[in-house]
Amino acid sequence: MPWLRLDGRRVEIHDGDTVAAAAFRAGVRTFTRSLKAHRRRGLYCGTGDCANCLVTVDGLPGERACVTPARDGMQVERETGWPSAERDALAINDRLHRFMPVGFYYKVFARPRWLWPVAERVIRRATGTGTLPPDAPTRRTPTRFVRVRTLVIGGGVAGLAAAATAAGEGSVVLADEAAPGARATDPAARDAIARLTAEARAAGAEILEQHAAIGIYEGPAAALLGPDELVEVEAEHVIVATGALEAHGVFPGNDLPGVWLGRGAARMTAIHGVTIGERVVVVANTEEGAHLSEALRATGATVTLVTGRVLEARGTRQVSSVTVLTPEGRRAFACDALVLSLGWAPRDTLLRMTAEPEVVGAGDVVRPGSTLAEAEASGRAAARGQADQPTEATSWPIAEHDGYVCVCEDVSMHDLERAWDEGWTSSEILKRYTTATMGPCQGALCSRHLAEHARAKGAAPAARGRTTARPPVRAPRLGDLIGGVHEQVERRTALHDRHVAAGARMDHSGVWLRPGTYGDVGEEIRVVRERVSVMDVSTLGKFLVAGVDARTLLDQVFPLDVGAIAPGRARYLLALDEAGYVMDDGLLAALGDGSYFLTSTSGGADRMEAWLRNWIDRLDLHVHLVNQTAQLGAINVAGPNARDLLATLTDDDLSRAAIPYPGHADIVVAGVPCRAIAVGFVGELSYELHHPRGRSEGLWDVLLAAGEPWDIRPHGLDALDVLRLEKGHVYLAQDTMPDDHPAKLGLRWAVASQKETFVGKRALERMDALPLERRLVGLRFDGAPQRGHPLAVDGAIVGRITSCAVSEAAGGPVGLGWVRAVDGAFPDQLTAGAVTATVSPTPFYDPEGMRLRA
Amino acid sequence: MPEVHDRPLGVIVCAADPAALDRLVPPGHGARVLRVAPDEVLAVVAPDFADDVRRELADRVAALDHDALVLDVSDGWAAIALVGDDAERALSYLSALEAPAADGFAQGDVARIAAKILREPDGLLLLVPAYGRDHVRTRAIEDAGAVEARA
Amino acid sequence: MSMLVTCPTCGRRPFTEFSFGGELRDVVSPDTASDFERVYLHDNAAGPQRERWFHLLGCRRWVTLTRDTGTNRVEA
Repeated sequence: MPWLRLDGRRVEIHDGDTVAAAAFRAGVRTFTRSLKAHRRRGLYCGTGDCANCLVTVDGLPGERACVTPARDGMQVERETGWPSAERDALAINDRLHRFMPVGFYYKVFARPRWLWPVAERVIRRATGTGTLPPDAPTRRTPTRFVRVRTLVIGGGVAGLAAAATAAGEGSVVLADEAAPGARATDPAARDAIARLTAEARAAGAEILEQHAAIGIYEGPAAALLGPDELVEVEAEHVIVATGALEAHGVFPGNDLPGVWLGRGAARMTAIHGVTIGERVVVVANTEEGAHLSEALRATGATVTLVTGRVLEARGTRQVSSVTVLTPEGRRAFACDALVLSLGWAPRDTLLRMTAEPEVVGAGDVVRPGSTLAEAEASGRAAARGQADQPTEATSWPIAEHDGYVCVCEDVSMHDLERAWDEGWTSSEILKRYTTATMGPCQGALCSRHLAEHARAKGAAPAARGRTTARPPVRAPRLGDLIGGVHEQVERRTALHDRHVAAGARMDHSGVWLRPGTYGDVGEEIRVVRERVSVMDVSTLGKFLVAGVDARTLLDQVFPLDVGAIAPGRARYLLALDEAGYVMDDGLLAALGDGSYFLTSTSGGADRMEAWLRNWIDRLDLHVHLVNQTAQLGAINVAGPNARDLLATLTDDDLSRAAIPYPGHADIVVAGVPCRAIAVGFVGELSYELHHPRGRSEGLWDVLLAAGEPWDIRPHGLDALDVLRLEKGHVYLAQDTMPDDHPAKLGLRWAVASQKETFVGKRALERMDALPLERRLVGLRFDGAPQRGHPLAVDGAIVGRITSCAVSEAAGGPVGLGWVRAVDGAFPDQLTAGAVTATVSPTPFYDPEGMRLRA
Repeated sequence: MPEVHDRPLGVIVCAADPAALDRLVPPGHGARVLRVAPDEVLAVVAPDFADDVRRELADRVAALDHDALVLDVSDGWAAIALVGDDAERALSYLSALEAPAADGFAQGDVARIAAKILREPDGLLLLVPAYGRDHVRTRAIEDAGAVEARA
Repeated sequence: MSMLVTCPTCGRRPFTEFSFGGELRDVVSPDTASDFERVYLHDNAAGPQRERWFHLLGCRRWVTLTRDTGTNRVEA
């Protein structure tokens, strides 16, 4: 006979058992201890709706015992109560509850202030359900996408009927949360389900077993959580057939072990063959409830069936008596099980999550208490576009003066009354203050009670609705949510393997993987300044702009004088948005046949393409824009010996006459056709070689080999950061803010103000008329600076260091930072902590630019 | 489980007036023509024929739009084939896009990269920017259950 | 999950394939004063709104469409 271990004790498993059934049969009555008062809690709903039976299964906490199939060898632990669920030292909380009214922790430990962090830690230890093992395996659930005409949620009679009918119109997927065989408690229901399942399958519906819908989103779309996958479904129609559970009864003693909701009791009895008690009282205000008594009598129990209102239940470890106000008056009964069928609570969270007309309900969820035939008809009607509208049951157990309303969070009627008196006078605010509906069951039991309470207290219509329904409906694990999400795309250049083989530390630079350093940043900087180095700059945005209106487009969009760029020349390009702020920068080269080659920053390529295409469209221009970012590799050969190195690999003229600064020429390097662009970012003689991506590895290898006489080595991003800083070049988004216009960055020279029109011109005119309030400046420090450190004048913060480094070439620590004007003037001495910063002109190194113009 | 193969392909871009592209006679050599935008066509062909297709396209489109641009952009694209009967199921782990009909193509989000999807006799072909090759291959193997092609 | 945007070339697609270009506005202003309004003061209508969307992960072209900002439905 298979068995599981519950808190170390062997428990037999019968065929088809859930963990709860096996445990109950073995005598377990207390499954959990409640959150705050540590009261004993036993099986209640039996259908996976409440949170009374959460246990840790095979190391993973938070499993609902009543819907988890028991398996041979399972290790189950009760996860609340210390040292055990049976003997909980903190049960004393229940005696002290008078001193712990709702929200007490906000008030009692608020002062002295230092006490709160301590108190909070203690409170956290004393509450909570379950512990995550520190070595829990990282699990990433596969996510797949499905598009379907109709999604049906719920595999009961209504759902299956809907699926069978909808399958005639197009594709259907039905998501059924229940474990196989766990559904029907009476033969008629079993037959109906078997018949409808066969019909649905025959019609072509796909049934996903053990898949719970955890949310409905715009589209409509839904997320289904299965045992091994997350399915994102796009559907044209969604039919929610999630059924209903019995209404949660609120009265003193309502949370005692031994108090059951009707369907849970029916399952335990009819499906698992478990006797829930010897003397059972059934309080049934529904038709179905009356049938329950029959099923219970069949187990040999003495069953008393009454209708009416439950006034009180009593007992210590479990229920021992109940008092009911029947039509004949007050009646008290001794019992060891109390079964409630007081009304219906449709499982309508998913339906309430959305206002999309394509999402409708069928069956119990809209017509609670339906017969099998009514449920089937409702499902078929929904599939035909004639869905029933939701109706609430007419009988509803109005909240009593005491009893637990929110069982998950130990919120009693008394707590709700007190909170209302304190002024929390709407259902939404009551929820947040008392935490009612915020527990694991997410209001499945009590959200109606909360709204009903607000209504009964006279809240305004807007303040007494059911609290907003939001996903997820079931608690997914983190691994379930991250499975399909890959926002971190990893773009690689063709030289990736070369960098890795050379021992580079690969960094995520936006969406790209780029080498940060090959091991010695200082040496990498030196080799650029003193000899020759190579850097993989293939990540740059690159664009061919051609067509009859190419020049017009560039002239209209960018603030530089495009016409002044002669073929073979290039210009530094600023991209401004319509507010005149700097969006991106790059280079614009005139190719001589009327077309242009444009480069942007690596991170700005997609935005640049979108930007240009927008203006092509809005200005109705004939322009061919080809994004060549992927197609072209680019290697920057930089250093005083750059020309010497390249001369060994090409017969083409590399002199300034042939390749002006800034300018470009087409050359062939070691047989690879390149566009060589003379650039100045690092401040040394540089040739940025743009070439077909397929030739990158060969070109890189040949450059490194030919560079050996100069002891060449490549440089990475860390070195680049210092090299460009020594020249005072800005890094967008590091040194700049989204509202920096050119004047703030000292880049006014890059704007051809005399041009009649360009994007952002009017905005610049407007801002030029205003005094400059903030500027990016160069800084020299008398000590080691810290990036991000505030800059102050007389103790008042007036700026911040945006970039800094200790620089050999610049003769000491230098940086960039922004400063605000103080009384109309910009300060030139500032402090950054213990360090003094002096505003300094840039570039710090080779201010005349002799090196890069060599 | 489908296999992942690299399929070297020639890709030629033809940018021209929409009216010209509407009337453009497709090139030969087994090239597949993808109208990716009103003003842009990509021709996908075996690498050996890339040059021929480029010339054919350039000649044909010049007659319809003298300002048209035809460029060999093969280096800019990587083609990853998912080979096997379950290629479509594997795709469903990477993308919400539906696999296209036999001679059509789909374009959209595949593993968060802009991709085109083509149907091949032995499975599906994903055409992605060259810098996305490794990313899509890794996702296909880790998330979609694909396996490396046996050498 | 999926607000659907209609691209004339590629069909109805999840908004996650697009980047949002904001309310449709004039391309140019006649003078500096009206330019401030054009750039900064948007109608921000509750209801149908003309907007620009760029199909970043698809055809990489712009589309102008009408979206109801209350229901998030894009006109076909």
